[in-house]
Amino acid sequence: NEELWAQSVLEMPKRRDILAIVLIVLPWTLLITVWHQSTIAPLLAVHKDDGGDSQRDLAAGLDSKEYCLSDRDIVEVVRTEYVYTRPPPWSDTLPTIHVVTPTYSRPVQKAELTRLANTLLHVPNLHWILVEDSQRRTPLITRLLRDTGLNYTHLNVETPRNYKLRGDTRDPRIPRGTMQRNLALRWLRETFNKNNSQPGIVYFADDDNTYSLELFEEMRSTRKVSVWPVAFVGGLRYESPKVNAAGKVYGWKTVFDPHRPFAIDMAGFAVNLRLILQRPQAYFKLRGVKGGYQESSLLRELVTLSDLEPKAANCTKILVWHTRTEKPVLVNEGKKGFTDPNVEI
Amino acid sequence: YVYSRPPPWSDTLPTIFVITPTYTRPVQKAELTRLANTFLHVQNLHWVVVEDSPRRTNLVSNLLEKAGLNFTHLNVETPKSLKLGLSWIPSHTPRGTLQRNLGLHWLRDSFSNTAPPEGVVYFADDDNTYSLELFEEMRYTRRVSVWPVAFVGGLRFESPKVSPAGKVVGWKTVFDPNRPFAIDMAGFAISIKLILEKPHASFKLEGVKGGYQETSLLKDLVTMDGLEPKAANCTKVLVWHTRTERPTLVNEGKRGFTDPRVEV
Repeated sequence: NEELWAQSVLEMPKRRDILAIVLIVLPWTLLITVWHQSTIAPLLAVHKDDGGDSQRDLAAGLDSKEYCLSDRDIVEVVRTEYVYTRPPPWSDTLPTIHVVTPTYSRPVQKAELTRLANTLLHVPNLHWILVEDSQRRTPLITRLLRDTGLNYTHLNVETPRNYKLRGDTRDPRIPRGTMQRNLALRWLRETFNKNNSQPGIVYFADDDNTYSLELFEEMRSTRKVSVWPVAFVGGLRYESPKVNAAGKVYGWKTVFDPHRPFAIDMAGFAVNLRLILQRPQAYFKLRGVKGGYQESSLLRELVTLSDLEPKAANCTKILVWHTRTEKPVLVNEGKKGFTDPNVEI
Repeated sequence: YVYSRPPPWSDTLPTIFVITPTYTRPVQKAELTRLANTFLHVQNLHWVVVEDSPRRTNLVSNLLEKAGLNFTHLNVETPKSLKLGLSWIPSHTPRGTLQRNLGLHWLRDSFSNTAPPEGVVYFADDDNTYSLELFEEMRYTRRVSVWPVAFVGGLRFESPKVSPAGKVVGWKTVFDPNRPFAIDMAGFAISIKLILEKPHASFKLEGVKGGYQETSLLKDLVTMDGLEPKAANCTKVLVWHTRTERPTLVNEGKRGFTDPRVEV
């Protein structure tokens, strides 16, 4: 550019011509700036011209066949544009959080998934894996997922019914959600190559819990398995890992069976995707799992106690709550139904 | 660009004032957190949180500060006599009444000397579930707009009855469909203009029959044929009257097991 400038000084056009050219070029420069900004991310910084006459530089640039928009050509201002998109734009540097949510049809299903989606829509680089406990993917879920705008994968697998019992009871020996979570693990292993995959974290998020936005940022830095407290589990205000002064997990602050290998709720840990891919045999045990041992059945194949990474200020903050939603009273529907069944709730 | 939450305020969009009464109990922070997560998507939303308490609590103050929403934090304690119905007339003060009225009072106070923005007032309880679409439906309310609500009145949903001409002509409910306004708190929004035009319209405090709270306010504001049906002429459900189970805290025992300084 230095050479161009010097060269054109020698052929310097008249002042009037310069003015005309500037008046033509300047709007285009600003236009290109806006286009550039709107298609690619970062903030525009102030680029002040540090040598010489900016007007002449522009003119010179235009004369030359090798004209290109350089830093020195951007003369004016900073424009910090706040853009709101839902979800936030994908980032090349953030690890992806794969949120695995098993779900099943019942009256409050759409409400639960709606408010969960409203939370997830704030989290960058989030991939929602929704697994229905159903024979087929339902239109309700298909539509809901599409309408949210989230990055998602929609799976389904039906937990076998226990034919011996009357009514729509699933096999009570299989804890709810297990086959669905396992299907998601299988999907991840089939989709991502362990040598070549982008960094990711796997989190099991049931559709009726409550998640703070801070939680997702805490789990993003998981190297193997990270853990944190969960409210409203084990008959307590919260259960929590025990963390020593060196920042290592050495036990569990629970009343119910604190000697479980991993006395932690499903919502209280996240696993690095790499680890999931490295241990392809690690799944949630399907049958014969004692109450409260489901999480252990997976985690013991993945990690030891000392490997756990405590998050949430060394497990002193509550960032997730195991809330449960009441079953709505539908007594006035009566035998034949009062409301229009075509109206989806 | 920088991702911002909530979306930037717009000079042209009507404001949605959301009035939420709330009270201390174990699930309070969880409820307000997921509610905030929803509101953070809605443009030009001003959240008026009214605690049922003698003082504004740290829990709510901190939550509101951190959320990033436009908010106003109020409080008024429901007197114990009202809560227990100890006055000589057996009274039924539904929960949240005093708090909602304080919210209305604050609104009227705030715009007594200034020109009010265009917008609406919506009463959003902290345990319901709201779709984002709902807020866009209510935003352009001229007087009072209405829509269906799921999980109320013992039904999948209750809904206004809308005539082919697009007018509300009745209520599709099983419980007392002849109420002047057989509609849930979450099923209507009122324009700010109307709230300010009728400064004496409030929720009745005492002697309100079950299911008549909404009527006690709306009867002073509008008649049935003045209602504006939203949500595709009241055929879509955009809000659910969900309720959260009380958590079992039995293992806390008499003296408490968990650290009481850890906020839940």
